[in-house]
Amino acid sequence: MSTSIPDGQKLEGRLKRSTQKLFIWTFVWLLSTALVAFGPKLLWDFNIFASSIALAMNVLLGIKMIWANKQHLEEMDEMQQKIQFNAMAVSLAATFVLGTAYGLLKPAGLLASTPSPSNIMFVMGISYIVTLIINTIKYQ
Amino acid sequence: MKNRLKVLRAERDWTQADLAAELDVSRQTINAIEKGKFDPSLPLAFKASRLFDLPIEDIFQYAPEMNDTGKTKASE
Repeated sequence: MSTSIPDGQKLEGRLKRSTQKLFIWTFVWLLSTALVAFGPKLLWDFNIFASSIALAMNVLLGIKMIWANKQHLEEMDEMQQKIQFNAMAVSLAATFVLGTAYGLLKPAGLLASTPSPSNIMFVMGISYIVTLIINTIKYQ
Repeated sequence: MKNRLKVLRAERDWTQADLAAELDVSRQTINAIEKGKFDPSLPLAFKASRLFDLPIEDIFQYAPEMNDTGKTKASE
């Protein structure tokens, strides 16, 4: 059966292209994040101007990555979008609840050191992936 | 929601991948719709209606979800 949609415009082709774009922008953003994290100490000896430029570049590349992710989501079909949005909703809620609890550990005297906000990223990532897998299995 | 996608597809000797390509969705989405696990949006239902040249209600039929006691969720 031949479809009325040209090969280059088919869902799989569109998703492949948007995934490649998302991968590239995520990788570039990651590199710029590493530059901001290690550059001041290893490359430009805490020069404020260089750090500012690196940070601004990191934010701009981050925005570009968010945009690529948005476009990637828009290329998906409605069930794929539903699976993604469910995972994002659970991830947001889990991050909110567990992040709040985590922040209260020190005031409650249950943690000696100051909670690091970067640890919340693990909650976000793990809850997102777990929900994504559960929903994918659910609709199989 | 019940649907006759699988029957209509079989009548035309189409695979799930064929129908998916025609409706511009993934094969997994067609599979989930056929199994009643996912309800398509109105635009997708119209697309299927146009593809099979049938009214929407001849392809999709509303069937309220039943619970274990046989009652519909809406009547609870």
